[in-house]
Amino acid sequence: MDIKCYIQASAAISPQQSFTGDYTPQLLPLTERNLLRAQEPGYAGFIPPNSLRRMSRLLKMGLTSALQCLRNGNASVPGAIITGTGRGSLQDTEKFLHDIRTYEETALNPTPFIQSTYNSVNGLVALQQQCTDYNNTFVHRGFSFEHALLDSILQIQEGAAQSVLTGGFDEMTVEHHYIKSRIGYWKTALTQPADMLESGTQGTVAGEGSVFFLIGTAPSAVELKGMQMLYKPTPEQLSASLTQFLAQQGVAPEEIDLLVSGRNGDTRFDHFYDVAEKVLPSSVEKIHFKQYCGEYDTAGAFGMWTVTQELLSGRHKTALLYNHFYGEQHTFVLLQA
Amino acid sequence: MEALKLKLKQQIIEALNLQDTKPEDIDDNAPLFGEGLGLDSIDSLELMVLLERSYKIKVEDPREGRKILQSVQTMAEFIMSKQAA
Repeated sequence: MDIKCYIQASAAISPQQSFTGDYTPQLLPLTERNLLRAQEPGYAGFIPPNSLRRMSRLLKMGLTSALQCLRNGNASVPGAIITGTGRGSLQDTEKFLHDIRTYEETALNPTPFIQSTYNSVNGLVALQQQCTDYNNTFVHRGFSFEHALLDSILQIQEGAAQSVLTGGFDEMTVEHHYIKSRIGYWKTALTQPADMLESGTQGTVAGEGSVFFLIGTAPSAVELKGMQMLYKPTPEQLSASLTQFLAQQGVAPEEIDLLVSGRNGDTRFDHFYDVAEKVLPSSVEKIHFKQYCGEYDTAGAFGMWTVTQELLSGRHKTALLYNHFYGEQHTFVLLQA
Repeated sequence: MEALKLKLKQQIIEALNLQDTKPEDIDDNAPLFGEGLGLDSIDSLELMVLLERSYKIKVEDPREGRKILQSVQTMAEFIMSKQAA
């Protein structure tokens, strides 16, 4: 990168107690279904009551994590707002679709339709912060957050913005969980996060969350060195691309002291993580972040939040995030303290 | 009329998710928009939908809607007049 990019602040609403800024990941117990639900914070200090009553769950999570991120970065109006979401507000989408059926395409409430659009969170953040600059939402399944991140880097490299509020958010509903279970997304038997990586079965545990970063040119403790996306690579292509990516970044594999991987215990696709791990020394410390947040389209944002927290802790110097979404969308992100 | 107004207040609270409001907090003649309940233009659309779903009354003319949605009293009077017709 010609212009260095830094993670100036972050905020995460996730199944973990992450919103308070604590980083103590726990292997949470599941009792009903293979789904790690996000722990929602109190919204009163972030959203006016008259707006709060109309917002659905994902909008509240997205707006609140975005605002907390800006507060953490002592910023008010970012130079751009760029986000990714794989599904947007499912709760609103389902309500709107149910109403279409129930009322036979008449008498439809406007609110669920408005909020079901993917760029609702961006719009809310922009309205609340009076940000009239570049505003974009990417909806590319497992590449949604990653394209938001890429666009953020490009905005900074082109001098269009000095700081960018970048985020990824997705929610899971009971109905959508059921639909995805029918096409093999989740493990059929209730599987605890503590056991999911060794379960030896197909599918994984679902999750949800909303994670935001303030990325900018002002130096801070964590530098975003680079990223690369790969679509449906073979294991050979993946290995060669990772080697090439590290070389392009001027980082030897031996310099990586932390690998944060999206390994999720799905036997159909975990072999990709084996391939990536073989490029690095066997001694490298590994964290498999989906045990803590579950699988969802923008889980990569939680992965990058995990990397950021690890680097801020001072335990590591150079960290690689490698994540893929059901074997199709693969991403490397390199960060350095 | 009184029963209708009470029912309307309950429906408004539910439709607009007015969590801390009880039916007795809404004065029959208080303006729904601006000062009174502080509702906005999206709420007015929600109330139009409420009339259509619950009372099978479709308000076609927006100018007419503005008069109907002034207060719970005007809404109830409008519903009564339509039901009587």
